[in-house]
Formats: sequence, C-alpha cells, structure tokens
Amino acid sequence: MAPKVPPQPSLEQSSTATAAGHGLAHAAPPKGILRWLLTTNHKEIGSLYLIFSLIMFFIGGIFALVVRAELYQPGMQLIQPEFFNQMTTMHGLIMVFAAVMPAFTGLANWMIPLQIGAPDMALPRLNNFSFWLLPVAFILLLSTLFMPGGGPNFGWTFYAPLSTTYAPPSTTIFILSLHIAGISSILGAINIIATILNMRAPGMRMMDMPLFVWTWLITSFLLIAVMPVLAGVITMMLMDINFGTSFFDAAGGGDPVLFQHLFWFFGHPEVYIMILPAFGIVSAIIPTFARKPLFGYASMVYATASIAILSFLVWAHHMFVVGLPLAATLFFMYTTMLIAVPTGVKVFNWITTLFRGSISFEPPMLFALAFVVLFTIGGFSGLMLAIAPADFQYHDTYFVVAHFHYVLVPGAVFAIMAGVYYWLPKWTGHYPHERLAQWHFWLSVIGVNLTFFPMHFSGLAGMPRRIPDYALQFADFNLVSSLGAFLFGFSQLLFVAVVILCVRGGRKAPAQAWDYAEDLEWTVPSPAPLHTFETPPTYQRPAH
Amino acid sequence: MWTVIKSVLAAFFGVQKEQQRREDFEQGRPGAFIVTGLVMAAFLVGILAFVAILVSR
Amino acid sequence: MRTLLVWLAGALSLAGSSQAALASGWNMPVGVTDLSREIYNLHMTIFWICVVIGVIVFAVMFYSLIRYRHAKGAKAANFHENTTVEVIWTAIPLLILVGMAVPATATLKKMYDTSDAELDVMVTGQQWRWHYEYLGEDVAFTSNMSTPRAQIRGDEPFGENYLLEVDQPLVLPINRKVRFLFTADDVIHAWWVPDFAVKQDTIPGFINENWVRINEPGIYRGQCAELCGRDHAFMPIVVHAMEEDDFDTWLAERKEAAAEEALGVEREWQKEELMERGEAVYASICASCHQPDGEGSPPAFPALAGNQRMLEDREWHTNVIIDGVSGTAMPAFRSTLNPVELAAVVTYTRNAWGNDTGSEVQPSTIAQRLGQ
Repeated sequence: MAPKVPPQPSLEQSSTATAAGHGLAHAAPPKGILRWLLTTNHKEIGSLYLIFSLIMFFIGGIFALVVRAELYQPGMQLIQPEFFNQMTTMHGLIMVFAAVMPAFTGLANWMIPLQIGAPDMALPRLNNFSFWLLPVAFILLLSTLFMPGGGPNFGWTFYAPLSTTYAPPSTTIFILSLHIAGISSILGAINIIATILNMRAPGMRMMDMPLFVWTWLITSFLLIAVMPVLAGVITMMLMDINFGTSFFDAAGGGDPVLFQHLFWFFGHPEVYIMILPAFGIVSAIIPTFARKPLFGYASMVYATASIAILSFLVWAHHMFVVGLPLAATLFFMYTTMLIAVPTGVKVFNWITTLFRGSISFEPPMLFALAFVVLFTIGGFSGLMLAIAPADFQYHDTYFVVAHFHYVLVPGAVFAIMAGVYYWLPKWTGHYPHERLAQWHFWLSVIGVNLTFFPMHFSGLAGMPRRIPDYALQFADFNLVSSLGAFLFGFSQLLFVAVVILCVRGGRKAPAQAWDYAEDLEWTVPSPAPLHTFETPPTYQRPAH
Repeated sequence: MWTVIKSVLAAFFGVQKEQQRREDFEQGRPGAFIVTGLVMAAFLVGILAFVAILVSR
Repeated sequence: MRTLLVWLAGALSLAGSSQAALASGWNMPVGVTDLSREIYNLHMTIFWICVVIGVIVFAVMFYSLIRYRHAKGAKAANFHENTTVEVIWTAIPLLILVGMAVPATATLKKMYDTSDAELDVMVTGQQWRWHYEYLGEDVAFTSNMSTPRAQIRGDEPFGENYLLEVDQPLVLPINRKVRFLFTADDVIHAWWVPDFAVKQDTIPGFINENWVRINEPGIYRGQCAELCGRDHAFMPIVVHAMEEDDFDTWLAERKEAAAEEALGVEREWQKEELMERGEAVYASICASCHQPDGEGSPPAFPALAGNQRMLEDREWHTNVIIDGVSGTAMPAFRSTLNPVELAAVVTYTRNAWGNDTGSEVQPSTIAQRLGQ
C-alpha cells in the first residue's frame, strides 16, 4: 500500500513550513492565558485535550453517580424522573463526545508526531482551532441543564420523535453543540491523516509505523466518514423541530426508523472510533513489558482494517426489535458475528505476545492486562448480543448496559489510563508514583467489576435500561452496582493525585523510560522539549 | 491481478506469509490493492445479502 | 482481578443448574412458549461457548503471567509471526460462528412467521400506558400501572408486585396462536414480556408484528423497554393467560359490556354521571401529563386549570382531545376513548379545579362529531 520511502519533497515542504511557524512563535511567545489560547504546539494542545477530557470525565462521572445514587434502592428518593433522564443522557453524551474521544485525540496529538519523528502536526493552527471548539461545544451542552424544560432527556441515542416533537426546547442548543463537537472531530481527523501520510521520518514505511499510529490513521478515516452522517441527522432533527419538516414524524409522512438507521450508521463506527486507538495503546504497552516483539504486527494492522470496514456493515444490530425484514435481520446478524473474528485475532495476538515473554507489572502494564481480560468479557457479551433471536430478550436491558460499559470503561478508559501511565515519564520527566498507581489500579478494577458485572444479571432477569425506579427483584444487583460505582468514581481521585504528583516531581526518568520500548518517542529526552525532531531523524528498523 | 486478489483475500482473512507481504509492499501498486479491496468488500456484502435473502425465503 | 474471579465463579455455578438460575432470577427466564425455550437454549449455548473460549484464553494468559515473570528471571523468547497458528485461530472461530448462525437462523425464521393466527391483538403504546384492542371483537381497553404513587415516593411500603401491576391486564388464551400488531400514538415504546420472549418496538405510524402461543396459564409481567419519556419506568405490562374456555367466556362478557356502553351513547347523561366518569378517565389517561390538579408542567404540558382558551372555546377544547395537536405531545384520543369517555372527560375538565363553565357535553354530540 505504501511507497517504499515516504514522499520526500512533501516532507521537506512541511518541515520547513512548520519550522517557519516555530520561528514566529519563538519571536514573541505570548504569556499566561494567551499562550494556551494561541498555542500551535502539538504537545501543548495535546495536554489541553487531556486536561479537558479529564475534567469532562469527572463531570460525566458525577452525572453517573447521581444516577447510581437514585438506583441504590427501589423507590424515588433523590431526584425526579425528568431529571434522571437528563442525567443518563448527559452522562452518555459527555463520556462519549467530551471524555473518551478528546482523550484519544490528546494522546494522538502528543504521541503521533513523536512516534513518526515529525516536528509537529501537519496543520498546527487547525489543531488549535479544533481543540478550542470543544470547550465551546460542551459549555453550551452543559448550560442546557439550566434552561427551562431542562437539558436533553432522550438518551444519548436521541431517538426521534422523543428528541424532536416531544423534546424540551433546549434541544436546538444540544444540536448546535453536537455540530461544533463534530466539526472539531473532523478537523482533528484531517490533521492526523495529513500528519501520518506526509510527515513520517525518512525511511519509515507505512508498515513500520507503531500500531497506535496505524489505529489512529484508520480511526481518522472512520471519523471523516461518519461524522458528516451525524451532522446530517441532527440537521434533519433541527428542521423537524424548528422548520416544520417531517423527516421523522410519521404524521407528516416521515419515518422514525429512518432516524435510527442514520444514527447507527454513525453510531456503530463511532464505538470503534472509541476502541481502535485503545487497541493501538495496548499493542505498544504489552510488548514493552513482556520484553518481546508483538506476535503479529501485520495481522494486527489487517484486523484493525477489517474491523473498520465491517463496522460500516453492522449498524442495524442495534435495531433488531424495530421490525426489520427477516432478510435484513439475518444479514446484520451474520456481519456482526463476523466482527468477532478480527477482534479475536487481536486478543490472541496479545496473549501470544505474553507467552514466553519476560513480564513485569508496572502500572501501564497492569491497566493493559486488565484491558485484555475485561475487554474480552465485553467482547463475549457482544457475541451473545449478535445472536438476533436472543437479542430480542437482551435488547434495551441492563445486559446491554453491562456489555458496552465493559468495552468502554475497562476497555477504552483503562487503555487511556494505561497510555497516560506509559507516557507520563516522557511528558513530565518523572515516573508516576508506583504505590499510588497500584492503589488506583486495584480499586478501579474492583470498582468496575462490582459496578458492571451485576448488570449482566439484572438485565437477564428483565430490568430495562434507562429507568429511574425498578421492581423489587432487581434490588440486590442495583445495590451492589451503586456501591461499586461510588468506589470506582472516588478512586479516580487517586489518578488525579498521581498525575499532579508526577508533574511536580518524582523519580527522574531517562529518555528511554521503559527498557524494552522501541518507538521513536523514546529517543527524545524526558521530559520531551517543546520542540522535537526539528531535523527529521533517520528511521532504523528494529532488528528482530 | 491474481496475486493482488490473493493478497487482498489474505488481508481479509488477516493472515499472510511475511515473504509475500514484503513482495506486495515492494512491488505492488497501492491503488490496485485499494480498488481490489473495495470491490471485494462489496462482494462480501453481496454474498452475505444473497445468503440472507436465500435463507429467509 | 479477584472480584472478577468470584463473580465469574458465581456466574458459572449459576449457569450450571439452569433451574436454580431461573428460581433465583439471575438468568434469562426459560419462559412459557416453545420459542422462548428455544431462545433460552440459544442463549445458554452461546454462553457456554464463550465460557469455554474464555477459560482457554485466560488460562494461557494467566499461565504466561505467572510462569514468565521478569522478577523470576524469565528470559524473553523472540518469536513472532507464525502462519499456521494464525490460520488456526482465525479459522476455528469462523467455524464456531457458522455453527452458531445455523440454529439462530432457524429460530429467527420461526419468530418471523406470524401466519395462521387465531386471535389478533392490536397493542398501542401511549405515554405512559398500553392500549389493547381485540381486533374484530369490539373489545378494547387501556392498561395503566396501578402501583400507587405513594409507594414510589416511599410514603407506603412496597407491594409485592411493585411497578409491575396494572388496573386491567391483557387477557390471552393458552394454546392458541395470538398475533400482536404493534403501534404507538406518540413516541416509540417497546412491548416486552420476558416469559414470551416477545419484545417489539411500537412505532407511531407503523405496524410491527410478533406472535405468541402460550403453553401454561398464569400471570406474566413485563414492562416498556424503550425510553419513552418521563414515566418510561411506569408503564408495565401484565398478561393474564387463561384456559381457552375461560378466555372465551371472558371475551364474551367484555363484548356484552362494550355493547351496553355503546347503547349509553344514545341516552341523555346527567352532569354528575359525566363528572364521575370523567374524573376516572382523567386520572387514568390525562393526569400523567396534565397532573391530577390540572396544573400541567409547562412548557411541555400546559395547565388546564384556568386555561382561558379552553374555557372560552368548547369546540376547540373538544377537537384538541379528539384530534390531538400535531407537533406537540398531545395525542389524538379519537380511537383510544369511546364517545362516552370523551364526553365525560371534556365535561370534567371544564368543571374541575375551579374551572366553572358549568357546561357539559353529551356523548351523542361527540358521536355525531366523530361520525362527520
């Protein structure tokens, strides 16, 4: 697929261009808040993304704890059903669009230029713009909670007509904020593709790129393909609400199911957008701490590509009970089952990498290993959900909630934390506090499983999702889930403590912070200076 | 042409001999692989849809 | 990791004896139809496949983690890429999946076969209640949750079937193929009874089908499964499955009562009668949005108490209830309520909570209006 050597002229062009940009920045570096508002440096923007997503992770987490507190026991104790619905909706929206996605973009900003030996992102000003769109988008979104009629209360999947004809007046603001967040994602994705395709170090071919770069390249294409679909569907909502169209209103000849097709054509690739970069991070960490090369690099790349392609062909498995024709149900069942194959290949690859390695258990490795185990459990429940006849029982129950939280929390979120622990020495020049990090890890693992494992049982026993109150037979499961949620939530304060301590001091880290790590980022000093690879390094293929 | 199809099939399956992969990357044209990949992805959809419609009768 | 193992062990031991699992409410119910049993078996098959794969994969993983510890001086091998191994671990899952797809396809085909039904029931989802209509039998009624709000607020102790009890259950015969036709008046709901393995979205403007043939008489409970707004948690489903003879008797009685009600349309009603009937209708249909005290919850649900437009324009008021207001949450009640109920609720809302128009509407007037 790739030319033997990256296109030399464009590499020179872009590096001179960015060098010129840096020259200007050096001339008059703005001070204080302006420095952060105007920065075009990929490391600073990466940090902004990460800090933003951490704040949003806590806001979304507080919403989740409000939900779990109300569900602690049967009966309505703390909040009203209207507010409960706003909390579940906001929790989902914030976690997906403001916590997980920006966290991965932040890691991409920091690490992709370092991993491919580029001086910066290809389009630094665009980079600044795509970050600063995010606070605007999510301040708007959060402000809807204070508007008359309240914020969005129709679930993060915002099915019409509940989200159009029957929605609170603030829905128009919600649509605006999603548009802004979507533009930010598309611009970020364009930037990442431009960087990866044009700015690799001389000698680094496509099949030499670290897997984190590969998975992000593929993720970026997914983003560019599906974000416009989201923009389209929310624009149709906007028209239905404000301009009297009837895209999703059956009374005017529209089709509420059309909404779901469009939403999930975006939504399913979206879930892979949140997990593919996680695969990349874990594929970097496991070989490092097993002191052994990744078992199947090429098959990992292929599997990522297969998952990406298949992700466009499975959307209606979210819609098995909307009354699809039999042939359509069968088609989507088969394609969904197929996705298990490349996903399985990934898991097998990680485990074979561990086999006969020389394994140590530093914090990044702990999170990566927990990722493999718990993501696989989420994969198993996903396989069960793919069986369409059984899905008629699972659909819209807590079994589904358990499934997607297993792939998103100990999946995506653990991978992000693994990545943060892995690269903190590079960012700060210090190792994270080992003891505290271990506490954070074990409390998180226990908390996550206490929260989400009982949800399998409550779902199978018949508890629908998104209900503020439930029948008495579900009480025990919910009690355990709520306790687990508070444990998990509060243990994340430890994560903040570790990060702050690590920025301020700690054991000094050398350039090569982890012995066996072999990507380009470990060739620059720790902490990485503001400007790296101003002259492109010559890429040396590792010899094994 | 046949080698391109074979390589794309191998990529779909996810497994390929290292030797063959190296040859593809050194001698093949990326455009040919991308186009073949897209055509065969459409093929896969066609086959699955065909099976689904056949079975649902 | 230890918690995980404990939970896994719990899951395994539970799944080990499906009967115990059923009794304890930790697993999918086997249900009371042939199809629900088939679906349960599919569920357990795929579950065990996952368990076996999981045990193998995690065994290799934990063996490696323990055996090849750096701290114990393990030396890393340097192997990677092995075509044979990769072909095997791609091909085996593929075969397992094909093996799983075959029975799943067969079950799905049965679920989709709604032909030759002996009874058709139209199920209509409304915010936040179910409306059932026995097609061709002139029997129709609305089913509301009967759990008192006081229990939900915690002012009273929970009843045995807290949140899963209704004023009028759906009554079905056993051993007969019953076809459901699903639709909705407002937003999307989903009708779900786990013991039947029937879950289907009810979509405004569209009709979905599903079917059931119940094997055992009994009372089966479920609830709405698709987020449908504020009281999504409070629209349960209760099905009373009867022996065929009992069902026929019940249906005949309901038909008679419906015929009697139809006669009531013709006669002149006293205002007190209308108010009494209207209060009951308002409580079961209108109060969930417009509130028991008629204050509504603006902006979505306007107040009825002291509503000027409504009090001044009886014609408009009646039309709103019959035809709904498009583009808002107010549905049309033309087919949900009969002329007596419509007349009663119009009369009631014009004379309750300090609304003192003194005016009343006769069922015959409504019937005329509906006939136009």
